[in-house]
Amino acid sequence: MIVDSHPQTRTPFRIMLDSIHALMLRETKTRFGANKLGYFWAVVEPMSQAAIMALLFTLLGRESIGGISIAMFLFVGILPYKLFAKLLPQLSASVSSNKQLFGYRQVSPIDPVFTRLFIEVVTFTVVYLLIMTGMGWLGTDSIPHDFPKLIAAIILLLILSLGLGLILCVATSYWEDTPKILGMVMTPMFFISGVFYCATMIPIQVLPYLTWNPIFHILELSRDAYFNTYTTPVGEWGYASLISFGFLAIGLVMFNANKQRFITL
Amino acid sequence: MISLKNITKFYKTKQGRHYIFDNVSIDLPTDINIGILGPNGAGKSTLVKMIGGADLPNKGEITTDKRISWPLGLQGGLQGSMSGRENVRFVARIHGYKNTTIIEDQVEAFAELGKFYNEPVKTYSSGMRSRITFGLTMAFDFNFDVLLIDELNAVGDANFKKKSEQILVEKYKQTKIIMVNHSLTELRRFCTAGLVLKNQNLIFYPDIEDAIEDYQVTYVK
Repeated sequence: MIVDSHPQTRTPFRIMLDSIHALMLRETKTRFGANKLGYFWAVVEPMSQAAIMALLFTLLGRESIGGISIAMFLFVGILPYKLFAKLLPQLSASVSSNKQLFGYRQVSPIDPVFTRLFIEVVTFTVVYLLIMTGMGWLGTDSIPHDFPKLIAAIILLLILSLGLGLILCVATSYWEDTPKILGMVMTPMFFISGVFYCATMIPIQVLPYLTWNPIFHILELSRDAYFNTYTTPVGEWGYASLISFGFLAIGLVMFNANKQRFITL
Repeated sequence: MISLKNITKFYKTKQGRHYIFDNVSIDLPTDINIGILGPNGAGKSTLVKMIGGADLPNKGEITTDKRISWPLGLQGGLQGSMSGRENVRFVARIHGYKNTTIIEDQVEAFAELGKFYNEPVKTYSSGMRSRITFGLTMAFDFNFDVLLIDELNAVGDANFKKKSEQILVEKYKQTKIIMVNHSLTELRRFCTAGLVLKNQNLIFYPDIEDAIEDYQVTYVK
C-alpha cells in the first residue's frame, strides 16, 4: 500500500501547476472525450462558422476592402471575436461547474479559470493557424504584416476576457441567472464590435458611439497589425490596454475577495 | 492537536440563519481516535469537512500542525462522466504524481469493481462509489496523521465492510482517526474518545462510553 516516489514537498506554484494539469486532462476528457472525434469538432466548429460567414459576406459584399480579400479581412475579425465570445461563458462558469473539486485542498478556485483559458487559447491558435495556412494554400497572402503587434492585440483580448470572466464568476456565484444576461449582451456585442466591418466603413458621425467598446479597438488593432494596407483610424493601444488591465485588476480583486465563498458555496 | 478557535458556522435558509456551531472553542487531541456523535442534521459532516479543509467556518479558525486527510466518504469529487480509473488518475495528479499507474492499480485491486472500473462513475451504485473513494484515500493515507471518516460504511456490503475495517485496524496504529458513524458498535470498536454535538456546541469526552451515554440521554428517547 505504501507508495514511494511520492512528491513530498511541493511549492504552492508547483501544486497549482499540478492541479491545472490534472484539471486540463479532466476537462478535455469530459468536453472532447465523448467520442474519438471530440477535439476534431472543437476545431472544426469555429472554423466552419468563420468560413460560412466569410462566404456569406463575400456573396453579399465587395470582393475586397482596401486591397484585402474579403475572406481574410473577415477572418482576422471573426476569429478573435469568437475567442472572446467563447471565453466569457466558459470562464464565468468555471468556478460553479468545478466546485465539488474544491473539496480537495490542492485545487484552488482560480485553477479551473486558468485551465479553461489555456484550453480556449490552444484551440484558438490551432484554428487560427489552420485557417491562415488554408488561405495561404488557396493563394492569398496570409502572412501577418506585423506579427508582434498582432500577438499584442490578442494578448490584450485575453487580458480583457480574463478580467471580465473573473468578474462574471463572482457575479454568477451571487446570482445564478448571470449567464442569461451575458447571452443577451453578447448578441448586440457582435454587431458593435467591428467583426464584419472596419472603422473606415462607418460614417464619421457614428464612430463616437462605437469607440467606447474595447473589443472594437482590439479588433481594429489586430487588422492594423495584420494588413500592411490597412491603417485604423480608431484603434488605440492606450485605451484598449487601460480598459483591459483595469478589468483584470477589478476581476482579480473581486475574485480574491470571494475565494473563501467559492470553496464553501 | 487540532485547535478550533471561536468557530461559528451557519447555513442560510429561507427562514434566516441556521446555526450549527455558535462560538465553539475546543482543542482535539490527535493521539487518540475520536468518534463524533449527534443526530442527523446536527452538523457532524460539516464539522468533519471543516477539519479537513473542505468547508470553512463563518467565523473563527481551525489550526493544526498535523496532516489531516480530506473527509473520507466525500463523493462529490468523483466526476460522473469519467471512469473510476480516470477519477483516480485525476486525484493522483493533483497530489503531484507523475506516474499514476501505481495508484490506479492499487485502487483497482482494492475496489474490486471488475470491468466497471473502466466504466463511467455515473453508472455506479453508491456502494461502488464508496469503494472507489475509500480505495483512493487508502492509496494516499501514508501521508496523513489523522484520517477523517464520514459514514464510510453506510452503503457498503459485508465484504467491503470487512475489508475496509481490516485496513483501518492495520492503519490506525500509525494514523489516528476522527470518525462519524451511527453504529455505536463500530464507534466502540475504533474510538477511545468521543465528541458530542449538543446545543450548537461540542463536548469532548476522553472516554467513548461517557460520550455514548451523554448522546443517548440527550437524543434517544
